[in-house]
Amino acid sequence: MSMKISILKAGLLTTVQDMGRYGYLSQAVPISGAMDQLAHRLANKAVGNDDDLATIEFTYADASFKAETDLLLAYFGDGAFLVDHDQVMPAEKPLFIRAGSVIKLINNPVGIRIYLAIAGGWEVPEVMGSKSTFLAAGFGGFNGRALKKGDVLSNNLCLAKVSEAIFKQLKNNQLSYPNWRISRESLIPENRHTIRVVLANEINWFDATSIISFLTKTYQIDKRSNRMGYHLNGKALVRKVKKELLSTAVTPGIIQVTGSGDLVILMADCQTTGGYPRIAHVAAVDLPLCAQLKPGDEIRFSEISRDEAEELYLEREHDLSLITTAIGLKYLNL
Amino acid sequence: MTEESPYFTPDYSVNIYGLNEQSVTVEFGTVISEEILQLITSYNRVLMQNPFPGLITTVPAYCTLTVFFDPLLVHTSNLPGETCFDKVSYFLNHIKQSESRQAINKPVEIIIPVCYGGSFGADIETVAKINQLSIAEVIERHSSMQYIVYMIGFVPGFAYMGGMDASLQTPRKQVPDATIPAGSVGIAGMQTGIYPIETPGGWQIIGRTPLKMFDVNRAEPSLLKGGNLVRFRAINIDEFNTYGKQ
Repeated sequence: MSMKISILKAGLLTTVQDMGRYGYLSQAVPISGAMDQLAHRLANKAVGNDDDLATIEFTYADASFKAETDLLLAYFGDGAFLVDHDQVMPAEKPLFIRAGSVIKLINNPVGIRIYLAIAGGWEVPEVMGSKSTFLAAGFGGFNGRALKKGDVLSNNLCLAKVSEAIFKQLKNNQLSYPNWRISRESLIPENRHTIRVVLANEINWFDATSIISFLTKTYQIDKRSNRMGYHLNGKALVRKVKKELLSTAVTPGIIQVTGSGDLVILMADCQTTGGYPRIAHVAAVDLPLCAQLKPGDEIRFSEISRDEAEELYLEREHDLSLITTAIGLKYLNL
Repeated sequence: MTEESPYFTPDYSVNIYGLNEQSVTVEFGTVISEEILQLITSYNRVLMQNPFPGLITTVPAYCTLTVFFDPLLVHTSNLPGETCFDKVSYFLNHIKQSESRQAINKPVEIIIPVCYGGSFGADIETVAKINQLSIAEVIERHSSMQYIVYMIGFVPGFAYMGGMDASLQTPRKQVPDATIPAGSVGIAGMQTGIYPIETPGGWQIIGRTPLKMFDVNRAEPSLLKGGNLVRFRAINIDEFNTYGKQ
């Protein structure tokens, strides 16, 4: 089933992303992929896709696209709402959209990114095992670049049975959607500005006062924040061990401390290696919260153990697999 | 007589720490040395040949090998231990104990043609001046040594190489250049390296290679890998311009 959109207005930064590129880390090819992996995966689930199919990551609103065919879409995340004329289209559920509709993104002040999934996934060539865009080196995604006005994107024609069933249920002569939705907020903590962290290998390189500051003070997201990393404003940390860290592997979620004592949270497009000491890493389950932070937002860090972080990870994966099962049962075993 | 690999001395110990829920880092030491590089290269090869359930990939660096895995597959594996960290750590310690008797392949030597100086290597004069050498001496010394690739990092395909003639040692620039063209060969401290893609950078640029150091269309996009040996061959501008076009 062929589905197509054309971009009328691209917005600040709009890229095709999936769950990332892991096969070439040893050649210093970053993971990339969706910043908010949770929103990305839920968007895919809502249209019956596998989690790792490509979605479109929009940054803030101020973008629009046209449905060139009938579409089965879903969007998740806090960066924008989709509207058709003046009608807001609900997030977190599959949407049947008629050919010819013009869809706009309007501002959602809560966050910064939304993920737009289409039945079958957005079809772009796989580069080094992933469809994710890595802008700094210009490869992956849609011709290695951010989307711009006039770009036409299609789905992969091969739809999962669940996607076909959802499409069949919703197909109509107007916008339509089911009465169920996947509740993202039931998966994430109520307080989105407290980020759980696990202390890192170089924790003892910092003095006790600095460690206490890190775990109690408020930090603010700086304007110098992008897909590679977030710079934080707040109390600078003091080192008690002055030695140099030899460059070693780093990965999204790691919190580095720069030479001036400032914190940087590494994000999806971060380098594969780094030489700054690391004070902590963001629990994998809370990294999607970070992906929705914008300059000026204030956060605090709260410590959990490595084992707790792992348990939370496994629980989250379990919850996500239950969602897939539930949608499957609903549409395939009626 | 034992058949132990010389790189896995029985008293050698590694330190393993969690990097995040999906990765652990195995630390082999704290200084840059060829011995540690060989150790990591060999350990990595053994691991890739005998992966544990859920192993995704590894990232070698100066003194560490970081191992990425799928926690769901590790969790359901029958490796001993309660947590994924315990299970993976057990496996990684176990390799060291029992699977390390592997011959080390002869390292590969790769020749990199470089057109030194001129507009391709605007900082060669700085390198010459700081070290009180002529430009010809800088070229001669840079292209006469054999280098070893310690790791790939920073940007896709960027090789950190050691083994440079100490008389070429030059500090990084105070203010990094906004754009360094792909193929630029640079010096930072005692290291030399090649910028595979256009990027900002602070190394002293002494020349440029016509080779594509990173090409997404190749099966192995990065021309260089950790453990490779490298020699530079000085070429002139005509050879640079016609390189690979005959």
